[in-house]
Amino acid sequence: MADDASSSSGITGNTVENSINQDELIMKQQREIEKEISETIPLVGEIEELQTLEKEYNEDPIYLLKVKDLSSKYKSIRRTRPDGNCFFRAFSYAYLERLLTDKQEYDKFYEIAKNSKDILVALGFSQFTVEDFYETFMEVIQRVGEHAGSTPDLIETVRMELHDKFNKQGYSDYIVVYLRLITSGQLQTDQEFYQNFIEGPRTVTEFCRQEVEPMYKESDHIHIIALSNALKVCVRVKYMDRGEGSQVIAHDFPEGSTPLVHLLYRPGHYDILYA
Amino acid sequence: MRKPREPKSNRRRRNKMAEIVEKYNTKCPGVKRLMREAIELAEATEEYCARPLEDNLFEWHFTVQGPKGTEFEGGIYHGRILLPKEYPMHPPHIILLTPNGRFEINKKICLSISGHHPETWQPSWSIRTALLALIAFMPTPAEGTIGSLDYTPAERKILAKKSTNWSCSQCGEIKLLLSSTAAKPLTEEEQSVLNQIAFKGEDDQSSKPPPPTEEETPEPELQVLESTEPVTGFLDQLTEILVALLVGAIGIFIYRRWNAFYAEAETEL
Repeated sequence: MADDASSSSGITGNTVENSINQDELIMKQQREIEKEISETIPLVGEIEELQTLEKEYNEDPIYLLKVKDLSSKYKSIRRTRPDGNCFFRAFSYAYLERLLTDKQEYDKFYEIAKNSKDILVALGFSQFTVEDFYETFMEVIQRVGEHAGSTPDLIETVRMELHDKFNKQGYSDYIVVYLRLITSGQLQTDQEFYQNFIEGPRTVTEFCRQEVEPMYKESDHIHIIALSNALKVCVRVKYMDRGEGSQVIAHDFPEGSTPLVHLLYRPGHYDILYA
Repeated sequence: MRKPREPKSNRRRRNKMAEIVEKYNTKCPGVKRLMREAIELAEATEEYCARPLEDNLFEWHFTVQGPKGTEFEGGIYHGRILLPKEYPMHPPHIILLTPNGRFEINKKICLSISGHHPETWQPSWSIRTALLALIAFMPTPAEGTIGSLDYTPAERKILAKKSTNWSCSQCGEIKLLLSSTAAKPLTEEEQSVLNQIAFKGEDDQSSKPPPPTEEETPEPELQVLESTEPVTGFLDQLTEILVALLVGAIGIFIYRRWNAFYAEAETEL
């Protein structure tokens, strides 16, 4: 008897199912691309000379001019995996690496990081899941702090450990999740301000749930503004695209302070730059 | 100051946890997280309960109470939760085992934010979020989504009544699994999240292999285990055959022209 009911409903559901199958196929293809990327590109790569970029654009005069401009200010680049998490991964890697040689900045950041969990829990995020990410995040930060500003040998040891951790999905993704939560927390704390940046009818909370908190969602200006505000870290992003001119335009978040993290943006992707 | 005596079942469970700790690599984030969740969900509540299988932390069994004031009221529904090795980066899958008239049984369903894809799952959600969302989603219209059933309220009520006698081969009579303690109240965040979550079934062809039954360290390379897609695989093969045929045809064509040309040249000579 019950089975009859289900078969009759199957007919009306047919068109809906077709469009879902279409969706499924697209998602399948996307998953394959993602799989290929994850098999060939490390989460965070080794440091490379900026000239490798020149080779990449050998037959592209517009980009070649821009790479030339870039190489007047930067010597090297560190690539990250283009999986939608690249901004968060590049940012945290570059910043923690920087903290290794800057004890004063480290101490400032440690306080902010330590208090971040309570802010998130007060906003209503589930305590035990937030704690799970927070603990891993703090474990990595504390390790950096043990030798921040110490001898070059010790710094190098910790730097290599850091590189290793950033290439372990367990650590690396946990750091990304936690930074996404901090970003979401900042957006929600200062809703009125950030609402202006959101296009369309979405509320800040909806935006956070759809574009900030889920993994693999790409970052836009608003993510960068929120994260740099939450952690009080200035980020410089060099925007390299097909736009006119031979200059690569820089944006500082927030404007007017000294950037500690330098990132290269090419449409859809962030890498780390070194002077 | 006297501490209330801990129920025996709790102590037994704690020992179980110790065994699990020994068995799994606790450095693996999924394992660490699931152990936390097991502790968080150790006490059964009136609305839901869930716990990992004794021999596999990546498969849980759960029981939920049908939402009150709906045709599922009085029903008790049991099912499996399959956790991907990437959990909590990827969402859990839920399989209902008790006939309920809302979801097909023995079919993987997956939660997503309404109208969006499962990628919108958030790592800060948990098994509790999934169960609460499942309960909240039961009374919503099926609308032909994969894995959904459109039984009439009367049929669902009959199934709800029957469900109390249902028993799981691993967990026993399911009506004994829930307790009379009310669950932890919803946080504001949870409440607003629940309104947005939807469930939909997975296409059979795209269903992934079950989560690891043996201990596995989820290294990125392991993603090779992802299912091979029969549909695209078939299309690829078809294209290959077509290309081969085309190349063959062109080859024959050229060969014939060439022959014809030489034949002509020879006759001219």
